[in-house]
Formats: sequence, C-alpha cells, structure tokens
Amino acid sequence: MTAPKLPVRRELVRWSLLAAAAAVLVVFLGAQRQSVEVSYGRSPSAGALPQEGSAGELSDASVPSVEEMTALVAAEPVVRLPGAVARWDEQRVRAAIGDRGTRILVAPPGLDEAERRRVKDVENAEIRIVGTEVSGGLYVASPDDLPGWRARFATRDVTSSLLTLLATLHDQPTPPDRDDLRWREPTGPELAPMVAALRATGRYVGPGATLTKLPEKAASSAFPDGAWFVVLPAQPYGEPLPAYGPALHRLAPDQPLLVMYGDWIEYHGPSAAEFAEVAGASFYAQFGSRLGRYAYPQQNVLATYLGQVTDVRYAGLFDRPLPYRPFDPLRVALPALPWIFAACVAGFVALSIRTVRGSGRRPADVGPGGTPARLAGLSALAVELSLLTDARTDPALVRGVGRLRAARDALGEGLPDRHVRELLADAAAELDDVARDVRMPGYRPDVYLRARLS
Amino acid sequence: MTASVLPWLGGGVVALAAGFLAALLPRRRARAQGRRVAWSSARAAIHDATVSRDASPTAVPEAERLLARAEMLAAARGGADAARAAAEHARRADELWRAGR
Repeated sequence: MTAPKLPVRRELVRWSLLAAAAAVLVVFLGAQRQSVEVSYGRSPSAGALPQEGSAGELSDASVPSVEEMTALVAAEPVVRLPGAVARWDEQRVRAAIGDRGTRILVAPPGLDEAERRRVKDVENAEIRIVGTEVSGGLYVASPDDLPGWRARFATRDVTSSLLTLLATLHDQPTPPDRDDLRWREPTGPELAPMVAALRATGRYVGPGATLTKLPEKAASSAFPDGAWFVVLPAQPYGEPLPAYGPALHRLAPDQPLLVMYGDWIEYHGPSAAEFAEVAGASFYAQFGSRLGRYAYPQQNVLATYLGQVTDVRYAGLFDRPLPYRPFDPLRVALPALPWIFAACVAGFVALSIRTVRGSGRRPADVGPGGTPARLAGLSALAVELSLLTDARTDPALVRGVGRLRAARDALGEGLPDRHVRELLADAAAELDDVARDVRMPGYRPDVYLRARLS
Repeated sequence: MTASVLPWLGGGVVALAAGFLAALLPRRRARAQGRRVAWSSARAAIHDATVSRDASPTAVPEAERLLARAEMLAAARGGADAARAAAEHARRADELWRAGR
C-alpha cells in the first residue's frame, strides 16, 4: 500500500525543491540592486550640496556681451572683469607664457549657466577663469591635494592651476606643485576679540565674512560636544595668513575648533590627526569644483563640510566604534544563496533520476495469487489436457498453449502485469473450452487452479 | 562577475535539463512498452489465426488474405498502430476460419 504513496511524496519534494531554487534565484536577483547612496551607519548628514541656484551660489555679478569681452581681450593680454577674484603669481605665469601671447579672461564667481556660456564663447581668450575655476581649450585645471585646495580657497590663488594648464596646452612637462602659502603668528590684538567671542558664544565671525547664521543642526551632529567656529573672509593674496588655528588650539587644547578662511575650512583639536585630512580631502575633492565656480555663502559651505564630518564620524574612522547594524537576514544569507540554489538543483536532479529509474520496473507479484504462479498452473493444466484432446479440441488447446507461450515471453520481457494477465485470461478461456469439450469439470481452469494454488 | 554568475547559469541549465529528461524519458519508455505490448498481443492473435487456419477443413481466401496482411505488418515491425492493425486483421481471419469450419 505504501508503494504508490512514496513516489507521490517524492514528486512533491522534487517540485518544491525546484520552486525553492526559483525563489532563491528571484531573491538573489532582487538583491542585486545597486545604489550610489552610501550611508555608513545611517549618518544623519544632509548629503550633497543642493541643486544649482538654490543655495545662494549665484552672485549679482554679471559679464558683458561676448563682443565686448572679445574686444577687451583683444586690447589687453589679461582682462579682469568686475568682481573677478582669482589671483596668481604674475611673474611665474608670465614666464610660462613667454612670447606666445596667451590671453587670459578672468570672470567673477557665481555666474549662471548663460553667463558662463558667454565667457566660454570669447574665442580669443585662451584661458578663462570663472571664480577660481581655470579652464582652457578642452581642459579644466584644478588642484588635487590639500595645499592646492588651501591656496585656491583661502587666498584664491590659482597659480599652480594656471601653470599646469599652460604646460598642458603647450605640450610641456607639468611643473611640480609648490606650496606658496605663508603663515604668520597672529598678533595679540588680533587674537583678543576672537578669544573673547569664542569663550562667550563659541563662534567668531570676522568682518567681511558671508556667514550670517551658524548651521546649528549640522554642527551638533558633526560635533555633539560643541565646537568653536572662527569664520573669516577669503584672505588677501600674497600676504602671510595669520595662523589662528594653532594659536587658539594652544589656548584650549581640548576644544574642537574650525577655522574658515573664505571657503577653506581647517580643523584643530582632538582627533585632528585621525580625521581632519580625511574630511577635508573628501570634501574638497567632491565639492571643490563647485566651490571654485560659484560664490556660495559661507554658511552653506560650512554646513556641507559639517555633513562630511558627520559622515566620516559615522564611518567609525575616529572616536567611535562601528555603529550597530540591525540583523538583516538577506544580507546574512546572500553569500549562501548560490549554494542553497545549487543544493536545490542537485536535490531536484537526484530526485528526477530516481523518478526516471523508478518508473521503469515494478516487482512482479510473487505468491500463490501472482501472475507467475497462475502461468505455471495453467501450463500444467495444458499438459494434462493434452492427453485428452482429439482432432476436434486440438486447435483450442494449441491456441491456449500459444497464449501461454506469449504470456511467458511477456513476463520474461518485463511487460506490464495487466498485459500478461490478459494473455493468461485468453489462455484460460481456451483451456476452459477444451475441458468442457472433453467433459472433465475438474480440469476447468477455475477449479483446477483453485485446487492447485491454495 | 562571471565567476559569481556561473553557479546560477549552470544550476539553471542543469535543472532545466533534469526536468526535461525526467519528463521525456518515462514518456519514451511508456511508448516503447506500449509498442511491445501491442506486438505481443498481435503475435498471439496471429498465432491463434494460424492454428485456426490449420484446423479449418475449408479454405477461406478472405481469411488467407487478412492473415497474409497481418504477417506482412508483423514482418515490417512497425509501431503500436501497425501492431494493433495486424492484431485486428488476424482476429478477423481467425473468426472467418472458425466460422468456415
């Protein structure tokens, strides 16, 4: 009775294995989504700078028409449009230009797209500087290390970008970067009001700075224990910068301190060695080109920098253990999914093989009621009847014997039991005719078999 | 990329092949068995008919023709349909001879 049940259960397992394999495949494919959003430990930082024009980065400055600018550039080798801020070491740049007559057009930062296009359309200006973004031909030159960014954003010094671009345009070897920025110790009268303001409110906004309001939320997530902020306008080019950071750090070594010169932000304080470079480099590498091209208010720059600091903090790079991540079964199971899939397939294949092989042969029913016993009984009956037949009954006997031989062959070939039984039933019918014709009721197959097989 | 895709691709192909074979092989086996069963019946029927012919006192041309056709079909060893047709011919021949007796 269990025989037909088992294959049914096996079939069920087999198809559920296949369904499981398909489900695993779907789950795996579904988990392949990729996103550029990377937030380590769910950092609460706001992320990137907002869309163009929405963060006050467009200034009131404008540029004349293309024809006017072309005429200006034709008249003079270096044209500084009103509001232009970029500075450079004129001696070195002139030496690099030599007698090639390269013309430079300097435009103010914070131009909108149409105005930038007008600057770009001035064809006789080989080098265009918008804000502190230096471009020429197909190239845009920008610094790629902290001293380069510091010079560009603290004093709007574009000397190294200009020299790099000139060398590239004239197919000459790029000159090595040089850090021309000089520092000086701040004087007592410079420091005094700063220290007083910092001790009182934790911030000092120098005259000329464009910060109107400290980004409190970004500040509290970046520096939960509070920090001092010194915000100064961009410093004049060519003069040594007052090193307020180190001086103030000596006064209060345990106090996190951010000093902002123009768009350049420096950190001094605890853990500075661990994260200041990482935060600064990632911030200026990501936003440097926009900061140079536009005129962002300082509070927006500061807020974005603080968001970067928050990201770095939540990355667990300093001062903080790796954040707890809730158990995600998919993330845990993902590496195992191919193996689960392979196991399901293997199980399905194994059960398929069993199914294919199992469907072939069924064991014959051996026993008194079985087909072989019946065949044997009928054969014996045929032998006994053969002694009693005459010409009238011979054909039926021969036909019966023929059926018996066919049944024996079928049994030997492993044909289905039903077929063998049909052949035996035909043989029995023939032998029954013979037994009736020779008037031997004891030789009728039913009676004979009952007597022999029981 | 390719290395991580291989198990999925290979597994999918293997599963597909296994399912296909698991459906195809039993079907083919059943067909072959059906054919053998049909031929077994047909041979038994032809044997019956030859016995009836040998026992028949009169010649029945129609039955001869039918048996000859059945034997020809059997000699050609066709499929299950040919076997059933041969069995049918042999059975009718057998009946004719038994009736003509």
